[in-house]
Amino acid sequence: MNQFTFTAKQKTFLLSMMGVGLLSMVLTFFTDDALHTRFWSNYLHNATFFTGVAFTSLFVLTAFITAWSGWHVLVKRVWEAYALFLIPGLVLLSVLIIGLYGGFHHLYHWADAEVVAADPILKGKASFLNKGWYSIGTFVVVGAWIFFALKLRQLSIAEETMQDANFSVHKKIRVWSAVFLPIAGFSSAAIIWQWLMSIDSHWYSTMYAWYATASWFVSAMALTIITLAYLKSLGYLQIVSDHHLHDIGKFMFAFSIFWTYLWFSQYMLIWYANVGEETVYFQERLDNYPVLFYGNLILNFVAPFFILMRNDNKRKYGTLVFTAIIVLLGHWWDFFLMIKPGVYHTAQEVLAHSAAHADEAAHAAGHHASSFAAGFTLPGLLEIGTFIGFLGLFFFFVFSRLTKASLVSTGDPYYEESVHHRVWPF
Amino acid sequence: MSAVVSPIREPLIEGNKTYHQITEDICSPTEKAPGMAWVMAFLVAISLLAVYIFSLGWTVWNGIGTWDLNRTIGWGWDITNFVWWVGIGHAGTLISAILLLFRQKWRTGVNRAAEAMTIFAVVCAGQFPLIHMGRVWLAFFIFPYPNTRGPLWVNFNSPLLWDVFAISTYLTVSLLFWYTGLVPDFATLRDRSKGFRRKIYNLFSFGWTGAGKHWQRWESLSLILAGLSTPLVLSVHTIVSFDFATSVIPGWHTTIFPPYFVAGAIFSGFAMVQTLMVITRKILKLQQYITLEHIESMNKVILLTGTMVGVAYLTELFISWYSGYIYEQYAFYNRVLGPYWWSYVGMMACNVISPQFFWVKKYRRSVVFTFFMSIFVNIGMWFERFVIIATTLARDYLPSSWSYYAPTWVEIGLFVGTLGLFFTLYLIFTRVAPVIAVAEIKSILKSAGDQYVGPNATHHHDDHGKGKVHAGTH
Repeated sequence: MNQFTFTAKQKTFLLSMMGVGLLSMVLTFFTDDALHTRFWSNYLHNATFFTGVAFTSLFVLTAFITAWSGWHVLVKRVWEAYALFLIPGLVLLSVLIIGLYGGFHHLYHWADAEVVAADPILKGKASFLNKGWYSIGTFVVVGAWIFFALKLRQLSIAEETMQDANFSVHKKIRVWSAVFLPIAGFSSAAIIWQWLMSIDSHWYSTMYAWYATASWFVSAMALTIITLAYLKSLGYLQIVSDHHLHDIGKFMFAFSIFWTYLWFSQYMLIWYANVGEETVYFQERLDNYPVLFYGNLILNFVAPFFILMRNDNKRKYGTLVFTAIIVLLGHWWDFFLMIKPGVYHTAQEVLAHSAAHADEAAHAAGHHASSFAAGFTLPGLLEIGTFIGFLGLFFFFVFSRLTKASLVSTGDPYYEESVHHRVWPF
Repeated sequence: MSAVVSPIREPLIEGNKTYHQITEDICSPTEKAPGMAWVMAFLVAISLLAVYIFSLGWTVWNGIGTWDLNRTIGWGWDITNFVWWVGIGHAGTLISAILLLFRQKWRTGVNRAAEAMTIFAVVCAGQFPLIHMGRVWLAFFIFPYPNTRGPLWVNFNSPLLWDVFAISTYLTVSLLFWYTGLVPDFATLRDRSKGFRRKIYNLFSFGWTGAGKHWQRWESLSLILAGLSTPLVLSVHTIVSFDFATSVIPGWHTTIFPPYFVAGAIFSGFAMVQTLMVITRKILKLQQYITLEHIESMNKVILLTGTMVGVAYLTELFISWYSGYIYEQYAFYNRVLGPYWWSYVGMMACNVISPQFFWVKKYRRSVVFTFFMSIFVNIGMWFERFVIIATTLARDYLPSSWSYYAPTWVEIGLFVGTLGLFFTLYLIFTRVAPVIAVAEIKSILKSAGDQYVGPNATHHHDDHGKGKVHAGTH
């Protein structure tokens, strides 16, 4: 079975997931503070997380094509479908931009002209951190990614239909893939600074963009494992063997360690140098978000490291899917930790300013920062509900894309290599 | 490994080789008198080694006052050279370990020489911190051990000490890895030789008989060492980057340093592998084993890693402005437009801009172009370390301490001298060991030899069913 059918049952299930998400978001919106901080930060969290997964899927695909990898061919339709999620991703992000211009949210400190005028550091950054660049950056960068995703998809399908004896289509695919890589390298950094690093608008770290990308990368691998296992359980892709799963498992394992390496490098260097402007980021998280902070390491390093260390664990579906779920939630948790403390801090300051008794409120804000805040200190049910909604949207879109082409790409020159791919015996 | 090979892949062994021919081609250079080219190269290398020994003697006898280091600029060419050499020492283990894990077949053509290069580069790198201590004879003080010098322990908080451990571990594992690969090849040499030479290779090959059990253990050991080496490749240059990044010096203290140093190290390592392989394949007539495919693949790695360091350079530059921290901003202003602007320009031109030529397939496959490019990259990566070290130190927090640094002849002699040390060791290596892993290259013959894949393939297996099309069939 190489042609995926998106059944009514699946549609109903995914639509109800989206319903749960919508309900959670509505509930969040109406139980929120005056700025709807929880609602908007949840939205930003999931929109950037899933758009990033789509981006890293495209990145993985192009990197493998450029490296002349053969084994991944049987998996490539899944990544193509993931990459196309960049289109709804851009729509989701446009809502944030509308919110930015309409003043509907206070996610970014730098978006507030009054604050910037009184803050020399933000004033210094104003030529980068402003609504114009944020919007243009998002549209140009994600637009470019979409262009490549569509182009590669189109060529990949063209390769399928025409008997391409001298590999002319594949050579085009190689060129487009290689060109995407440097564009991805430069543009992802710039846009991650805008979307995420600028939340803690005074703070900076040169590692940040690579760190966030590594987090997306592992999430993309985890989602791939989940999707493959599901498709196989339905009887599709029987040709995808334990050997392919093992390799994706290895990628999830290796990049979990790579993520930890980047985490450690960033944390250790900031801790060691002990410069106040930099330590403030981790100090805030250690003091007020300890569960998130340590949980991040347990979910994203300890769990995958020890579970996936053994070779045969990467070949067992149950274990692999279980780990993929942990790691997927773990990186979602990581993004939560990247986003929420900064947003919360900004919101408290804005609320304090707008309060009638500024002094009292500021005092109260200071007090609040150290106490439990639902939806910030830890992800609550509404956050999980929102995540379920976005996950439903993601899979709804991905499945609808999967129906558009055969699940296996027999036209790929590496198709036979992928079919006969063996990891062991060595 | 699967024997099914995509028809789009190019062969990696040319000339319709048999197993016996492979043995002959690769082993014979070690069995006959060296050619003129080798002798000339060796004379040059050993002369440079003499320069090294002289400069070293001069430094030790007169002290490092003979260098132009001063109170502001405490690290100059010495540490630049150290980082440069350590960086070069990354490609070998990357090729042998990470590419083994990725099952890249083209590694077999270059892994042996690259691993040897790694070890020699690390040996050269190790010289500089030792000499820089001034009193070389007290170098053993860097090891933590209970001693009679009172409560005098090394500083475990210092990344410089972590470096001692990182580099010595790296050297040990790289050496083991290299030697493991050499054991079956030494046995091959032994079986082909007589007399004293046979005794020597017999000793070095540990009684290898080529039994199935031997191969099985050898494979397991290779895989374990690859698993160990992979984090080591990352750790070594990460810790070298910590030497700078843990400080509070603007221009040094930046969180991207660890991965960016690793990318730069792989970049320079591959450039040095290219420099060596282009010459080696020509002199030892190994063009059929180190093919244009190999050269092209390595050029792609150079393009990739060169662009990665490009992203890192621009990230640093941008974030220095973005930080709003005036000292950070000034450090980078000074780096680009200060008294050492020429080294920044050299770094950018050689490391980021020049590799972009490799987007063109014709250049990637041009041996001459590759050779010059590899030299450019080597120069560029040396500049990078000089930029990081000297330009940063030359502009202290206190303008009254501002200074300029230029090397003395002793420092130049030490650097040029380590090139002599490096090439002397490498040239000796080409005489005593097969520069290509004989056993490993044989393992890919049936899936990458040009009689099996590519346009001239003569052997066809049709046992894999339809869709398995050899390029030779149409």
